[in-house]
Amino acid sequence: MRTGKCLLPLLLAALLLAGCAASSGGAAHRVYFVAKSLDTEFWQAAFAGANAASAEYNIDLTILGPQTEEDYQAQNDYIAQAAEAGAGALVFSAISYEENAAAIDEAAKKGLKVVVIDSDVASDSVSVRIGTDNVEAGRMTAAAALDAGEETLVVGIVNYDLGSRNGQEREEGLRQALQEDGRVEDVYTINVLTTPQAARDGAVRLLEEHPEINVLVGLNEPLAVGAAMAVDELGLAGRVRMVGFDTNVRCIDLMQTGAVSALVVQNPYAMGYLGVEYAWKLLQGESFDPNKLVDTATTIVTRDNMFTPESQRALFPFG
Amino acid sequence: MESRRSRKGLSMNTVLMFSILSTVAAVLACTMLVFLRTYRDSLFRSAQTGSSRTISQAAVRVDEYLDDINELMALLEGSLEGEDPDREGFFDTLLAIRPDVVAVSTYDGQGRLVNCYSLGGSVRRDAAVNLSFDAGQMEKYRSGYISPPHVVSIFEGYYPWAVTMIAPLDAAGAEAWVALDISCSNISSYISGIGIGQRGYCFLMDGRGDIVYHPQQQLIYSSLKSEDSAYIAGLEDGNHVSGGVIYTVQTLKNGNWRMVGVSYLEELISDSVREAVRLLIPSVLLILAASLIISAILSRTLSRPIHSLAEAMQRFERDADSFTYKPAPGMAREARMLSESFGQMVQRIRQLVENVRSEEINLRKTELKALQAQINPHFLYNTLDSISWMCEQGKNGEAVRMVNALATLFRISISRGHELISIRSELQHAESYLKIQSYRYKNQFTYSFDAAPECLDYLCNKITLQPLLENAIYHGINGLVDEGEIRVSVRLDGEDVLFTVEDNGNGMDEEQIRAIMGKERSDHAGIGIKNVNDRLKIYFGSPYGITIHSRPDVGTRVLVRMPKVTEEAEYENR
Repeated sequence: MRTGKCLLPLLLAALLLAGCAASSGGAAHRVYFVAKSLDTEFWQAAFAGANAASAEYNIDLTILGPQTEEDYQAQNDYIAQAAEAGAGALVFSAISYEENAAAIDEAAKKGLKVVVIDSDVASDSVSVRIGTDNVEAGRMTAAAALDAGEETLVVGIVNYDLGSRNGQEREEGLRQALQEDGRVEDVYTINVLTTPQAARDGAVRLLEEHPEINVLVGLNEPLAVGAAMAVDELGLAGRVRMVGFDTNVRCIDLMQTGAVSALVVQNPYAMGYLGVEYAWKLLQGESFDPNKLVDTATTIVTRDNMFTPESQRALFPFG
Repeated sequence: MESRRSRKGLSMNTVLMFSILSTVAAVLACTMLVFLRTYRDSLFRSAQTGSSRTISQAAVRVDEYLDDINELMALLEGSLEGEDPDREGFFDTLLAIRPDVVAVSTYDGQGRLVNCYSLGGSVRRDAAVNLSFDAGQMEKYRSGYISPPHVVSIFEGYYPWAVTMIAPLDAAGAEAWVALDISCSNISSYISGIGIGQRGYCFLMDGRGDIVYHPQQQLIYSSLKSEDSAYIAGLEDGNHVSGGVIYTVQTLKNGNWRMVGVSYLEELISDSVREAVRLLIPSVLLILAASLIISAILSRTLSRPIHSLAEAMQRFERDADSFTYKPAPGMAREARMLSESFGQMVQRIRQLVENVRSEEINLRKTELKALQAQINPHFLYNTLDSISWMCEQGKNGEAVRMVNALATLFRISISRGHELISIRSELQHAESYLKIQSYRYKNQFTYSFDAAPECLDYLCNKITLQPLLENAIYHGINGLVDEGEIRVSVRLDGEDVLFTVEDNGNGMDEEQIRAIMGKERSDHAGIGIKNVNDRLKIYFGSPYGITIHSRPDVGTRVLVRMPKVTEEAEYENR
């Protein structure tokens, strides 16, 4: 009887206490996302993924990117800005493998956890690397390019800045695979600014200088668009096999006309999402092997399979 | 012995505390188990009903939307079947007010695109694939068809995700089919905001298991997340629990789409239960602490008095004389009664003991008085015989001294009935006795008195020294070859008076001393040393009395200690 009488008020008191305790919540982590650019469809998809993750994990996310995909100095400024703002983690895609390294080291010294997505930086301070296996993506590009009936192949490569790691890795993989194929006679590379217009101009010049080129490769989204435009404008659809990167609407349109033969489609949404998710995991105290790439799936889409359910999902962002 | 044995058992305190605490703990454990079980069950039920309710509400909203689309379709059919002169104007208005409509297309009997109305973009001339309408599937379109989600592929630079509804047209013209593309993202407004619990959500799938809309569709398309479509597609309507997940499935009115709710048991139940346990533990500890306090109070009011009573009884057992009992305050009524009864009992027992003692003293006094009144007949006979012999020999002077000594002896023995006489008289009595004995023993011993003058006026029991002297003569001097010597001295020792009777006779061993101190004298009448000792203790208390120091062949020294007594009345009534 005695205990029964005590039990009820005590329980009520405990429940009241619980009500008070439950109302307090933790503060959101701050994460900065410094991209290579703000406007390409590739980065738009990455930001969509990052925003989805930040909503899921209650993260205060700031997205920054330079005007051009060559402006590593602007990226360095953004990195310093993130460190000053007291962010806990940085999701970063490096324009320059070498020139961004010092800024990343500096930020890591100030306590930032660094997650690299898409394009690597020469720093030991990186905690996780997420993205496409770019050498393998280069080899996949080659496989799509070599999927042609011609006896001899002359390959033109439109690549971007020499300092950018992922472009160089893709070209390396591509050249390796091309060398392994006996049909390839010559490989010409031009490096252009990362805009469709610069790529178109460069590709036109390359195709005019070397009319024997029958395979043309654009190693990222703006370059693929530019190269496809060049093929289309010069009326070379069907004669030049064009292999591009990523999923720009114009590439998809041109794929249907035959100016684009294949697209190596990365998964930028996953990169953005996983970048922020891993940043959150790092802030929770987890650690990862920075030398082991978290590989986001890469698929090849050709004109034949571009409207299969799988390709639809890879090519067209939802909503 | 008794007390030691009783310590082995459990103390009342322990029993009380243990029984209270174990009862409380058992009750708490049962209550908690029952509570948690009930709580868990009710959480489980409420999770299921909550999920069902949410899903049916969402289903109602999507049903309403589908009804709306069906009405729109009927309107389209009516418009396309009739001859509308301003068809372009009608579709411009329709598409402007219905942002959820991506495109309305019409197809001829062979499945060729006839007209397409859309705000999104221009139709590609050479569209290789049309995902909205498949000429090979026309049989299926006959009775109202809704497609899985797909990309609208017929526009240039515009690839929205949509589901397509297709209906046949009964027109005389070329248009045999109408296809309505509805934006998938528009459906999201009916679903994406719906949550079940903290992490639960719902999504829409069609009868084939294809996801029509999912709040995390892009995550699924990016292979970052997956739903077990095959499992869910096989589920009946209702709640299903699998691997810690509640799936709530409800088929929509169109009979094709199904609303699926996903919520997490772990989150809904285990977290709450864990939270409840986390909250219960402090209260359980509080209750245990409270019961500890209660048992402490109980022990204070019940067991403490009983314990102290028990201790008091033990003390009483050990030493009944100096024991005093005072009941502790603040007890329970029963304990107080017990304690009071004990107090009364102690008083009664002490009274009885007192009575017994005073009766014994009276008895002893009477006995002593009787003994004092006796004259050892041998002594008297021998003395008279000596006197008669002296008279015959003409030793009149000696005979006169003997008679005088005998007279003094008797006078002091009687002392007009007083028990206490002055030490001076007692010494005279002793001297008279020694005088008579020295005649009788033909000067075998000498004697001397050494009395401090300040002692002489204090009182002492009469016939205290005579038995000691008698003992010295009979057991010490008698049979001694050399001349014996008896020394009697009296002096003050602090607050006491100390008599000493020494002889240089045969002495005694421990055995003999014990015999003399222990037994009544049986050989002849009169007072023995034990009587003297008893009498001193009865009169003056246990610190006083006789002590004997003796070494065989060296001699004996007897000490008699008594207080300074000036008034006989002080002790007479004891």
